[in-house]
Amino acid sequence: MRSIKIGLAMGAALLSSAPLWAHHAFTAEFDGNKPVKLRGTVTKMEWINPHAWIHIDVKDADGKVTNWMVECGSPNTLLRRGVTKNSVTAGMEIVVDGYQSKDGSNHANGRDVTFPDGKKLFLGSSGTGAPGDTPEK
Amino acid sequence: MRSPGFLGGRAPRKLQPSEHPTEGSDSMKLLCALVGILVASMCAGQGLVAKKAWTPPRTADGQPDLQGVWTNATITPLERPADLAGKAFFTPGEAAAYEKRVVENANVDRRRSDISADVGLAYNEAWWDRGTHVVKTLRTSLIVDPADGKLPALTADGERRAAGLAEQRRLHPADGPENRSLAERCILWGTAGPPMMPGPYNDNYQIFQAPGYVAIVVEMIHDVRIIPLDARPHLPSNVRQWLGDSRGHWEGNTLVVETTNFTGKTRFRGASENMRLTERFTRTDPDTILYEYTVKDPATWTKPWTAQVTMAKSNSRVYEYACHEGNYAMTGILTGARAGENNSAKAATK
Repeated sequence: MRSIKIGLAMGAALLSSAPLWAHHAFTAEFDGNKPVKLRGTVTKMEWINPHAWIHIDVKDADGKVTNWMVECGSPNTLLRRGVTKNSVTAGMEIVVDGYQSKDGSNHANGRDVTFPDGKKLFLGSSGTGAPGDTPEK
Repeated sequence: MRSPGFLGGRAPRKLQPSEHPTEGSDSMKLLCALVGILVASMCAGQGLVAKKAWTPPRTADGQPDLQGVWTNATITPLERPADLAGKAFFTPGEAAAYEKRVVENANVDRRRSDISADVGLAYNEAWWDRGTHVVKTLRTSLIVDPADGKLPALTADGERRAAGLAEQRRLHPADGPENRSLAERCILWGTAGPPMMPGPYNDNYQIFQAPGYVAIVVEMIHDVRIIPLDARPHLPSNVRQWLGDSRGHWEGNTLVVETTNFTGKTRFRGASENMRLTERFTRTDPDTILYEYTVKDPATWTKPWTAQVTMAKSNSRVYEYACHEGNYAMTGILTGARAGENNSAKAATK
């Protein structure tokens, strides 16, 4: 009985633990009413803080190409996971499932960025992901 | 208040949250007196766990050596969740189960049905680095005092200031950059300290020591805190700094840092500019610093409170976090707010 209680307590505790906020409020920048799904070709990636940006060319049904900027997280985290500048190169085809910016520009957040086959663009480390568990290469 | 007897490792804890071993119960004093100098040295201060205390190495000038890169990433929350009331420590088995469930639950690659929550989670899991373990002490909250693991009640003044700020944010969410948080403005990260708290990523600190000084490089957002050890007085009270004004001294192997002179905009968890912070750094084994801080701010909380975080030695390095360079988001937030106002104005004229 006691273990059941503790289990329930820990389940409820999940809701209030683990800090979950990015450098800034994405809800202030991107519009939940404007979901976008973009398939495009990488033109460049800006490895900058606080958040990295991936630029992609997206071609519509008429063949018109539009460049989009996709906001991601802090590159410091990726570097610790062994991802380098060579991991994302111009010409790569990716799929971005996110939300467009509130100001209507061609910005989106990279809520879920994958290759066309559905694999994640950035995989976590093989360890736990804690910095101490992923010695620098 | 001294740290309870944390000696590292993940063995089940014997201490209870209400215990303050340094104050020494009568029975403890008697025990120490009886078993001679060797054991007494273990009983003194923290010796409720029968394990030989580890002695940290020294720097060339004789300071206990805290140098290196450390991370305080952890999933242990600041306050004890209501459902764990009365339970100050996990057993190792409970901690493992808790860690597994928290990490699975927090994984942001799983999309959320609540649209606002889904937008707020921002980007894929690989970008996050919240840590995957509870603190090494197996505590269920970072707060150790009050014993219930909760922040003390706010004073009337603390409540009034919090309500005033909330109202300001409601009326002026994004008129200009000054309305946004210090973190969004790349000025100060809310958990980077002092006091230093675990955050969602980049929880990395590098400690340097030189004769008369300790310096702490904080990855988020780019600060270096320089702490003189020469007992000089604090800055005059009219000089206010984002990180406050720190002075350090050694008490045995523990670095004690007193910080005052915060700005009225720093507001650590709603604190006033007169917050007085006492931090204690104790290296308890080669790979661990027990970091404890006490917040005294009678203008904000009805009593002082104390939290503990274990910091683990990291094989990584501290990277530059040149926040202003790439802060396109501030532009996006402000132009988004203007677009919203224009849309509202158009809707009103129809």
